[in-house]
Amino acid sequence: MLAAGGGIISDLSDTARETALTFGLNWPHFLSQVISFCIVAFLLYLWAYKPILKLLEQRRQQIAEGLENAEKIKKELQATEAARQEILNKTGTEAARLLDEARAIADKLREQESQKAIASAEQIIAKAREAAQQDHGRMLAELKKEIGRLVVQTTVTVTGKVLTPEDQKRLAEETTRQISA
Amino acid sequence: MRTVISLALLFSLLGMPLCRAVLPADAESDGALGATVAESHDTVAEEGGHHGLPPAAPDLFHIGPLPVSNSMVVTWAVAVGLIVMAQRSTRRMQAVPSGIQNFFEWMVESLYGFLDGVVGPELAKKTFWFFATVFIFILFSNWFGLIPGVGTIGWGHDTEHGFQVVSPLLRGANADLNMTFGMASIFFVLWLVWAIQANGVKGFVLHIFGPKGDTTGFMKIMMIFIFMVVGVLELVSILFRPVSLSFRLYGNIFAGENMLESMALLVPWLGWLIPIPFYFLEVLVGLVQALVFMLLTAVFTLLICTHEEGHEGAHH
Repeated sequence: MLAAGGGIISDLSDTARETALTFGLNWPHFLSQVISFCIVAFLLYLWAYKPILKLLEQRRQQIAEGLENAEKIKKELQATEAARQEILNKTGTEAARLLDEARAIADKLREQESQKAIASAEQIIAKAREAAQQDHGRMLAELKKEIGRLVVQTTVTVTGKVLTPEDQKRLAEETTRQISA
Repeated sequence: MRTVISLALLFSLLGMPLCRAVLPADAESDGALGATVAESHDTVAEEGGHHGLPPAAPDLFHIGPLPVSNSMVVTWAVAVGLIVMAQRSTRRMQAVPSGIQNFFEWMVESLYGFLDGVVGPELAKKTFWFFATVFIFILFSNWFGLIPGVGTIGWGHDTEHGFQVVSPLLRGANADLNMTFGMASIFFVLWLVWAIQANGVKGFVLHIFGPKGDTTGFMKIMMIFIFMVVGVLELVSILFRPVSLSFRLYGNIFAGENMLESMALLVPWLGWLIPIPFYFLEVLVGLVQALVFMLLTAVFTLLICTHEEGHEGAHH
């Protein structure tokens, strides 16, 4: 059993040696390639993977922060918009209230002014009417007096008599009474 | 990005006219470089005028006692290119990315997202550096291997079918088993470390050999025996993972390069046209293989680091 195992190991060893010889596998070349690969791996890690992965991580964090900030700004904007809307609503309500009040005051004032104007106008009309009546009376008196004078003068001219002051007074009074009737 | 395109165009323009401007091996035989190349040339020649890429990457020169193969040159070129691009992309980083920074950010972010989806956020954070490097390095190495000139400029000799390159100056990094086996071995070590970190030594052993499901009495004894046997099989499967991972990648890329060369030589006067569809195929294969290697390693890691509900209490 042991001999068979040893034989297999020996065969395997011969095959490996033969294969290595055929394909030029030997320690100096092998170690040289291993060292070359290790240097490449180390320098790529140092100059490529480490800084690039660090930068990518930083960029990822910046993007995450940016998104977070954007979300925050969005929320703040929404809050500001809500506050603005609330202020607008309040202002609108206040403005409507003020407008109603102003309208009510204006209506009241207008009513008052209208009443005043009507009263004033009525007063003016009454005064005018009174003045007109006074003028009418005064003109009527003057007219009667003139007619009386004309009648006396006509009577003197027609009759050729000289009328006494009593006659003239009586004639003027008779004329006035006739006109008034 | 403009720089990358410019570099690719430059390589293409330099490589295309040189595709056939091969160097005769004999002319270089005086120096160490020529000696190494001539050696490999001779080996190949002895094998009977072999066409296509040799399975092993030939050495170009030595730095002290260390041999430098043509695939190692490509590995270093890709490594330098990636490192320079990475350094340039992150030297002066802007909050709004542009140019090469944008490209690297896109690549890293996409890979991270993808791996996060596969292995989960915690494991992705811990293991991303490895899987990303595996994917990026394999992908760019595979695509670098498709630049005209890679595998076609080099040392060779005249044959009946014309000049044959036997030792290319450049060779796809993943067309060398040392590279693919190296990455698979690194993964194996890391997998072991991550598995023990996640489960503890006892939990790790239980994860492999422990019986699953709630049974009692005789059935429990049976289940323990069955899961011991299954555990042995699982252990063999785990031990062979570096082999399967490395040979899968190596085989695909090596075969792709050989196929491109074969297509180019199929009808000599149409050698410029026939490989074109296969180039597109190889672009896709390069991407798919990078993805397969990364996904398999990620899934293996996920499987060992995921706690089963039944064992949750035992591990903590």
